[in-house]
Amino acid sequence: MDTQEKKTVQEAEAPVVNMTVNPDKVDTDPNRERPRGREYPKSRSQMPEDQLFEFAEYNAMAAEKIGYSNYSYWRSVWANFLKKKPAVIMSIMFLLLFIFTFVASAIGKYDIHMAPDPINRMYITPNSEYWFGTNAIGQDYWAQVWYATRASILLAVLVSLGQISLGVVIGLIWGYVRKLDRFFTELYNLIDNVPTIIYMTLIALMVGKTMLTMGIAMVAFGWLATARNVRNLVFMYRDREYNLASRCLGTRLGRILYRNIFPYLVSVIILRLALAIPTTIAYEVTLTYLGLMDIMVPSLGNLLSAARAVFPRATFTLWFPAAIVSIITITFYLVGNAFSDACDPRNHV
Amino acid sequence: MSEMTNKLNTIDFDERAKKILAQEPILSARDVEVTFSLRGKKLVAIRRTSLDLYEGETLAIVGESGSGKSVFTKCFVGMLDKNGSITNGSIMYEGEDLTKFTEKDWLRIRGKKIAMVTQDPMTSLNPLKTIGYQIQESVELHQGLKGKAAREEVYRILNAVGIPDPERRYKQYPHEFSGGMRQRVVIAIAVACRPQILICDEPTTALDVTIQAQILDLIRRLQKEQNMTIIYITHDLGVVANVADRVAVMYGGQIIEIGMANEVFFDPQHPYTWALLSALPQLGVKGEKLPAIDGTPPSLFNKIQGDAFAPRNKHALNIDFLEEPPMYEVTGTHTVKSWLRDHRAPKVEQPDSISRLSEISLKSNGTDPNAYHPHLDPNRETLIEVKNMQVTFGTGRKKFVAVDDVNFKIYKGETFSLVGESGSGKTTIGRAIVRINPITSGEVLFKGERISGKISREMDTKVIRSMQMIFQDPMASLNERAKVDYIVSEGLINYHLYKDEHDRQDKVQQALQEVGLLSEFSSRFPHEFSGGQRQRIGIARSLIMEPEFIVADEPISALDVSIRAQVLNLLNDLKKSRGLTYLFIAHDLSVVRFISDRIAVIHKGRIVELAEAEELFAHPLHPYTKALLSAVPNPNPYIERSKKLLVYDPSVHHYDKEGPKWVEILPDHFVYGNSEEMDGYRKEIGL
Repeated sequence: MDTQEKKTVQEAEAPVVNMTVNPDKVDTDPNRERPRGREYPKSRSQMPEDQLFEFAEYNAMAAEKIGYSNYSYWRSVWANFLKKKPAVIMSIMFLLLFIFTFVASAIGKYDIHMAPDPINRMYITPNSEYWFGTNAIGQDYWAQVWYATRASILLAVLVSLGQISLGVVIGLIWGYVRKLDRFFTELYNLIDNVPTIIYMTLIALMVGKTMLTMGIAMVAFGWLATARNVRNLVFMYRDREYNLASRCLGTRLGRILYRNIFPYLVSVIILRLALAIPTTIAYEVTLTYLGLMDIMVPSLGNLLSAARAVFPRATFTLWFPAAIVSIITITFYLVGNAFSDACDPRNHV
Repeated sequence: MSEMTNKLNTIDFDERAKKILAQEPILSARDVEVTFSLRGKKLVAIRRTSLDLYEGETLAIVGESGSGKSVFTKCFVGMLDKNGSITNGSIMYEGEDLTKFTEKDWLRIRGKKIAMVTQDPMTSLNPLKTIGYQIQESVELHQGLKGKAAREEVYRILNAVGIPDPERRYKQYPHEFSGGMRQRVVIAIAVACRPQILICDEPTTALDVTIQAQILDLIRRLQKEQNMTIIYITHDLGVVANVADRVAVMYGGQIIEIGMANEVFFDPQHPYTWALLSALPQLGVKGEKLPAIDGTPPSLFNKIQGDAFAPRNKHALNIDFLEEPPMYEVTGTHTVKSWLRDHRAPKVEQPDSISRLSEISLKSNGTDPNAYHPHLDPNRETLIEVKNMQVTFGTGRKKFVAVDDVNFKIYKGETFSLVGESGSGKTTIGRAIVRINPITSGEVLFKGERISGKISREMDTKVIRSMQMIFQDPMASLNERAKVDYIVSEGLINYHLYKDEHDRQDKVQQALQEVGLLSEFSSRFPHEFSGGQRQRIGIARSLIMEPEFIVADEPISALDVSIRAQVLNLLNDLKKSRGLTYLFIAHDLSVVRFISDRIAVIHKGRIVELAEAEELFAHPLHPYTKALLSAVPNPNPYIERSKKLLVYDPSVHHYDKEGPKWVEILPDHFVYGNSEEMDGYRKEIGL
């Protein structure tokens, strides 16, 4: 203990400055009420040498001081997310794209309901008059593409929200209420063991192919994966002591699920939502291609399947919707991945 | 020191001190500083501290969580976490500086010369490999033995660590071993290559007291046989008293006091050591407050100026807040880092309870003669009655009986304790009473009314409002994603027990103040609080329902030593001010003795003995109770080292001829046994 012993010697050699202790100031009663809120000097020079070895006033507030970091989970998630430049740039691009779908029809020269004239205007390549060219029946493709983009994004967002909300609600109950576990597991197996495309075909043929019907059908069969994922996560939290505490306090099931379990799942839910949007768009394209979607309303799926049918003629009709689908898909995958990385507390170092 | 302790003296600390003073240290750490980088911040976990280690000694390092005791010793085996590094100082071992080692250099030292045993035996063994394979791996790697010779060596080692039938055990997997046996295996792997230094990081914290005592014996025996040097890290002063030659006390990343065990226990110099020792329930007077250390341990996120303990120290000097104290020498082996040792400092007397340490033994404990014992009151009122309770888990072939044929009464105003080892069913009983676990048969009565099974809605509300629970783990028992305000008022919201929003907030503030927290804490989230503060939030949450009866499930076992006394005092204060009745569930007998009026000892789902607290300690009858009492760690090193350990062997009972019964052998003293045993017990107490 070389260095420390040296220090001791130095202290001993230091000139003793007025070491008389004022007996009135020596505090021997440990139970005395001590004044609170006193500020301590920051350095030795701020205090006269003779007071250094007097008892300091005891400050209960300082003792109880919370020394813990002001770490906030969501702030760290956000900060980490912002570090992923590609994801941030792509999401800004997507937002601009979505806003543009509303503006595009206003700045376009023709609107979506342009009268068809297949004889004079079929497949005109893009020019200053028809910015994106025209389609098979001679309508302005610019208006068609942007209208379809808006419709597809809205459909994807609404369907994804529906799927995830339904999945989360079912998953929470499935995971938390032991008695219902069997029921939901069987229901899940029943639905999951038949390929969804068969349900879709049946619904399309028997009920109808409108966007609304198909949207509802997608929600009705799309909650499964989310529900199962949520159920497994609920298992992690179900038997934690804070849930037992809530039960002791008589908290009802709904409140326990909403206040005690749901907040822990938010990051997973957002992640699933981000990934569900491109999946839904891709699914819509597939369904249209299979002829299970109404082709009266333009959607990206409609445009793509129409363009593919005439490929390699009029390739521009394929490029525009394909580029937009790619932007949307890549954006959400990047955002989803960046977000899942950002949510992982291990990356919050 | 009293005569009694001198008589019991089985270890001569003075001789060991002489031996140590004559030696050169085998490992010598100087001004070690360890820094972690976390979320862009630099946290200094070890603040320039030094330590010498001498051959053949056992050094115990005591400290609270966050004091840096584990981090410091991890430097000796090069096992710091990735984001940590040694930023100053040196650790000299065999002429080399360990702080400069690369991963390749460590292979020569780690495991071979300096080995480590960690806390959790489950995570340090590979569940997919047999025990024999795992030990043999270490033997082959470090001792260069091959094939049959290596296998023979493994048998020898298994024998040495007290695992019977090594040939059969060799082929078994970790899950086939009990917790204590697994820890023996981990120790076997660590000592397989005869290291010079063995670091034991809380090796018995996860084990029951009886198993803990056996492991401590084992470590001591191995040390003697192999002449190892042991660093023993723990927060339990009873364990320190058992194993240590020298004791180092750590606080805020520094060793603040180090000395021979007798010096640190009987003549401590640092106010923190005083506080730590006085806060032991063994030194408390029943019915009086324990001298608690206020506040919370320092956080590494805040910069520490001066003496880290100063804000919590009632004897702090002005200089404590300004400058770090140097190490002062008390004796050749005893140094302390406190300005109180400076010749300019005023004299401060050690607290009285320190002197009590040399007098305590298992037989005597201070008791407040004026204390009120509700169970002795002739007009006592039964609050809870448990009749023939049985709780089973699972169904069919997997059925497991957790609690069987349990009967007891809890009287209004008393603290009734359930003591037992892990898996004994004590928590299950507590949870069955508050109706978290359903009971299989029998019934629970609250004020004479049945509350188990199906009950009416009004009764349900009434029971919830009058019975609450406090949980073991303050980290898991609060909802991390809710503000303290919501957590505390959850019960109020459920039953609309408030007039308006303003009234609700008032009630929350009151509850927080009652448990000694600042009312401004209500707008914060749980992660901002320390363990003790979180436990108090949990207590406030129960209190707001104004219950009559509280089940406290190991409320202090997850807390740091300096915080335990705070919570114990709080529970006792609330008992007085609100007339509460507690069911206190614990495994630590010294705590139970301090807080309870009556104690029930539970073993494998059955209560084997039930008596008034002092009566149980004075006349334990059931062999399991005796074994449990004999294993309780005592903070007096002389007594602790001379205690005789009793091992409970269930085969002493002959229940095949005549089944056991629950008998009141003395007034208010019940014991479980058959008539033959009862005769023996009666003889024992002189009836």
